[in-house]
Amino acid sequence: MNDIRINIFEQIGGSAAVSTEDGESLYKRIVKALEQKARVILDFNNIELLTSTFLNSAIGQLYSRFKSPYLKAHLKLENLKKEDLELLKKVVERAKEYFKDKGRIVNGAKEVLG
Amino acid sequence: MLSVSHIRYPKVVREIPLHKGRNVMRYEFPDSLSNDFEGYSVLLNFHEKTRNLFLDEVILDFKRTSWFEANLCAVLGAVLNSVENDLNIVRIENLIPKIERLFRRNYFLGHFGDMKIRDLYKTAVKYRKFRVNEEKLFKNYLDFELLAKAVMPDMSNLLRKKINESIFEIFNNAVIHGDCQNIFSCGQYFPTKKRLDFTIVDIGVSIKQRVDEFLRQNLSGEEAIQWAVTKGHTTRTGNIPGGLGFSLIREFLERNDGKIQIISGNGFWEQTGKNAKSSRYPYDFPGTIVNLEFNIDDKCHYYLLSEIKEEDIF
Repeated sequence: MNDIRINIFEQIGGSAAVSTEDGESLYKRIVKALEQKARVILDFNNIELLTSTFLNSAIGQLYSRFKSPYLKAHLKLENLKKEDLELLKKVVERAKEYFKDKGRIVNGAKEVLG
Repeated sequence: MLSVSHIRYPKVVREIPLHKGRNVMRYEFPDSLSNDFEGYSVLLNFHEKTRNLFLDEVILDFKRTSWFEANLCAVLGAVLNSVENDLNIVRIENLIPKIERLFRRNYFLGHFGDMKIRDLYKTAVKYRKFRVNEEKLFKNYLDFELLAKAVMPDMSNLLRKKINESIFEIFNNAVIHGDCQNIFSCGQYFPTKKRLDFTIVDIGVSIKQRVDEFLRQNLSGEEAIQWAVTKGHTTRTGNIPGGLGFSLIREFLERNDGKIQIISGNGFWEQTGKNAKSSRYPYDFPGTIVNLEFNIDDKCHYYLLSEIKEEDIF
């Protein structure tokens, strides 16, 4: 399995990962890599500020297309601060709950696939 | 239950116009405006009295006002912005020296007066208006004005970060759900109480409108806010999950012994520490006011308690 490292600081052009738009651009890059069956390393080096909005868009949204075991095997985190790990855990739990409704997954997939 | 029955609303006087063809409305503000149910009530009343004016003149008369909590400038500014969008003239009159100094320090009179902006007051939290796509400018504003070390030297870095996060969650909420063009903000630091109040306002769509549309119900303003601040509740329907922002802030402010107040539609909702209360106004506010009050004297020790492993995340 290939490793693809994404430097989030470089991807969003700053230390504040706060907006839906920046999250969306990261999401698209992760999806592209996962479609190549790669393992994605998300490097949070130099990220000082994270919001649920950004994480919902970048990572929570992945649960509309991929199942939890697949993401567990293909996503790796680096340099994420302890308090941000807690936030990400909440975002992931919320995403799993949100997409439990099958209809939402279908609709979500439709939007992604156009 | 809070009640509006005892609130004495300010006097509204019609005057002879200085500008030909314009009607003049003089609004006399009360002695005191604070971050509480009554304070917001006056500003909602002011919005109600001015919402249908067009090509008129509005005078804000502060001759009786000796106390005005500066973060409320975000609410007043948002309302005045709407008043000016309807081509009305806005004049602020009879400020006592103390309030005038306050409005100069936070640049409010640069927006609604004749004040020339010079960066003289590096420690004041300024009144600002942002476009919804200016989140990077907003970040700079928080870093260099609201949370600058010169203003609040005692604060831990973790607390600074948690405050930043909370404020951004509200900013993003306004961007995603507010259907607005601008976001208005202002803050005030109370050094003796070690408290920081920060207010964010948008005028566009109220929480009630969003929630009613989503649930296909007709809730009161306060019920709609209560629904929206509950963990897992969101009006989003696409493939980006929601329903977490308010619960994160509530959880943090509970630990921090802070406060959150939300005014939207005709609803008022407040959580102080663990206790929540709500009420309703006789008028609608066509957007959302969120005031966050942080306890700055907080070392955030509770954040060291949880140990989450990376392998448990996904």
